[in-house]
Amino acid sequence: MERTNLMSNSRASDEAHLLIIEDEPTITEFLQTGLAYEGYDVSVATDGETGLNLCRQKTFDLIILDIMLPGLDGFDVCRKLRETGVSIPIIMLTAKRDISDHVKGLDLGADDYVTKPFHFAELLARIRAQLRRSGHKMAKTRLTAGDIVVDLETREVTKAGRPIALTPTEFSLLELFVRHPRRVFTRETLLNRVLGYHYVGETNVIDVHVSHLRDKIGDKPARLIRTHYGVGYAFYPEEEA
Amino acid sequence: MKFWSQLPLRVRLSLLYVALLTLSVGVVGGYAYWNLWRSLLYSTTSRLRAQAKPVIEHWLYTKDYVIPGLKSSALPESLQLEKIATPLARDLTSRNTAALILDKTEKVLAVGKHLPEEPIPPPPNPAYTRLALAGQNEINYKMTWNGDPTLVVLIPLRSSPGSKTILGVAQLSTSLAPINRILLWNGLMLLGVMLLTLLIGGGIGLWVTSSNLRGLREVAQTCKQIASGDFTRRVTLPDSRDEVHTLAQAFNLMVERIEAIFESQRRFVANTAHELRTPLTALRGSLEVLLRGAQDDPSAVARLSRGMVQEVDRLIHLCEQLLGLTKLESTQHVQKKPLNLSDFFEDFLPQARILAQNRSLSLQSGPFVSVKVDEDMLKQILLNLLQNAIQHTKEGGTILLGWHLIPDFVEIWVQDDGEGIPPQELPYIFEPFFQGKSPVSRRKQGAGLGLPLVKAMVEAHGGQIWVESQSGQGSRFAFHLPL
Repeated sequence: MERTNLMSNSRASDEAHLLIIEDEPTITEFLQTGLAYEGYDVSVATDGETGLNLCRQKTFDLIILDIMLPGLDGFDVCRKLRETGVSIPIIMLTAKRDISDHVKGLDLGADDYVTKPFHFAELLARIRAQLRRSGHKMAKTRLTAGDIVVDLETREVTKAGRPIALTPTEFSLLELFVRHPRRVFTRETLLNRVLGYHYVGETNVIDVHVSHLRDKIGDKPARLIRTHYGVGYAFYPEEEA
Repeated sequence: MKFWSQLPLRVRLSLLYVALLTLSVGVVGGYAYWNLWRSLLYSTTSRLRAQAKPVIEHWLYTKDYVIPGLKSSALPESLQLEKIATPLARDLTSRNTAALILDKTEKVLAVGKHLPEEPIPPPPNPAYTRLALAGQNEINYKMTWNGDPTLVVLIPLRSSPGSKTILGVAQLSTSLAPINRILLWNGLMLLGVMLLTLLIGGGIGLWVTSSNLRGLREVAQTCKQIASGDFTRRVTLPDSRDEVHTLAQAFNLMVERIEAIFESQRRFVANTAHELRTPLTALRGSLEVLLRGAQDDPSAVARLSRGMVQEVDRLIHLCEQLLGLTKLESTQHVQKKPLNLSDFFEDFLPQARILAQNRSLSLQSGPFVSVKVDEDMLKQILLNLLQNAIQHTKEGGTILLGWHLIPDFVEIWVQDDGEGIPPQELPYIFEPFFQGKSPVSRRKQGAGLGLPLVKAMVEAHGGQIWVESQSGQGSRFAFHLPL
C-alpha cells in the first residue's frame, strides 16, 4: 500500500519522513500533495496493519494517524507502536469532538490530535512543533542562506551580521524564500501564503512587498530574489548566484 | 362560572363536598328544629285542653254546686252560663294560663284574671270565636299579645257532653315565650353542631382530596421538569392502585418513549454531522493545498479537483438519502399504482445487467401478478439491494433476482454468493449510519443509509424486509409487499 510521494522532486536527505495512516482516499491525496509541497517526504498506508508493517521496515520522523480505520483502528495502532518501543511523534486525526476520545488517544501515547475538519495550516504548525520537540533537523529555528540568517524564534534577520528590520509580511516572504530555495512561487501562491486565503485584491500587491524586501536586504540589482517574467519569483542563495 | 373553573381541582372538590354536607346537615337540622317546635306547640295545646277539661265538666255537667235561686237545667242557656262564667273563668286561670268566657253573641261574660301575677287574657278574635261557636273543637291560633307570642285555644262550651247546643266559648291563652326560649337554645345548639360538622367535614374533605390528588400534582411537576428538557425525570409511582397510579405509569411509559425518540434523533443528527465531516475535511484540505501552491502544478490541480468532485458527489448523495428518509418518515409520499411484476422486471433486468458488470445475473420469474406499488420506489429498493449485492460479490459471482407468491403477499428477493454478513453485524445492518467492519463496506463511499432507506420504503408500502446471511456464503435480502 505504500505510495511514496511522487510530488516532491527528489530533494536533499534532510527532509522529514512522514507516514500518513488514513483510509479516506481524498484526505490522503491532499495531505500527501500538501505535505510534499511543504518539503516533507510522505508515505501513505490505508489501514492499520499496513501502517505497522511500514513502521517496521522504515524509520519515520512523524506519523499522522486517523482513528477510524478498517480492521485495527487508530487507538490499536498507536498502542502497538508504543508497545514495540516506537517513540516517534504521533498526531491523531479524529472526526469525533468527544473529549474522551482525545484523552484516550493521548493516554495511549499520541503526542497531539487534530479534529476534522481541520485547517491544513494548523496541521502543518503542529507537525513543525512535534518535529522541533523531537529535535528533527527540518525544524531548525535558524535558517541560513549565504550571509542571510533568519531566526524564527526571535524573528530577527541579519545580513552579514548586520540586523535588518522587516515588516511581518516581508519576514514571512523571506522565510518562505529561504525555506524553499530555487522554487518559483507564483504571485497567487505568495499572496495566499503570506497574506492569508481571505485576502481579496490585486496580486501585484506582492510586487510591492518583494520590492521593499529587496531594498532592505540590499538586493539591487536583483540577484537573490529574481523575477521570472509571467510566472512569479524565486530565491537563489548567494553562493549559487 | 369562570371563577369556579379557575379554582384548583382539590378546592373545587372540597367545596362541592362541603356544599353537600351543608345541604344534608341543613335539611336534618331544619327538620329537627321544625319538629321540636311543632311538638312543643302540640304539647302546650294538649296541656291547656287537658287542664280545662275537668274544670269545664265540673261547672257545666256535674251541677253539684248551688247557685242561690237557680236550678241550672231549668234556666235559659245564656243565663245559666252567665251565672257560672265567673267561677269557671277563675278556675280555668292559672299562673301561666289566662281564661276568658264568651257567650253565644261573642260578648265577654267573664275574665279570669284576679291575681296580679296572673296574665291578662288577650281580646277575642271574632273570626276564630265564630268558628268555635259553630261547633269546631280544635281551634288554636297564635298571636302577639303584650309583645309576647301567645297561643290561644278555644273550647266550645256545650249544653251537655256531645250536644250540638253551644252555650259559649272558653278562650284559654298562654305565652309562648318559654317555648321560644327552648327553641332558641336548641336552634343555637343545632347551628353549632352544624358548623362544627361542616368545619370537620370540610377539613377532612380537603385533606382526602388533596392527598388523593397529590399524585396528580407530582405528575404535573414532573411534566414541567420534562418540558424544560430533563428527559431522565420519572414520576414516583404512588403506593395506591388507583387512577393516579395508572396515570403515573402511563406517563412514565410515554416519557420513556419520548426519551428514546429524542435519543435516536440526537444520534441521527450526530451521525449526520460526523458523515459530513470527512468530505468537508477533504474539501477544505484540498482547497487549502491548492491555494498554498499546488495550483501551480497542473497534475496536482487535476488530482485534487477529481478528489473534490468525488467528495461533493458524496455530499450530494448523503443529502439525497437524508431527504429520502425524512420524506418517508413524514407523510404519504408513496404513489401506489397497480404494477405488473413480469413487465416491471422485463424493463429492470437490462439496467441491472449493466450494473452487475462481470457478475452473472439471473431472474427467477414468479407467477403473473399485479401489485399496488410506487414503481419508482420499487426500482430504488431493487437498485439499492442490487448495488449492495454487487459491492459484496467478487467479479464472476452470481446474483439472483426473483419473486413468488405467498398468502396475501408477494415476496421479492435479491440473492448473492458474495462475502456474506458476519452474524454479529446482522441485527444492525438496517440501522442508519451502521457500517460493517469488512473492508468492502469501509471502502465504499456510502454513509450507511442505503439499507435503512430500503427498509423505510418497504415499510411505507406496508411490507417487511429481512436478510438471511452467513459469512462467506452470500446473503439473501427478501421483502414482502401486500397484494
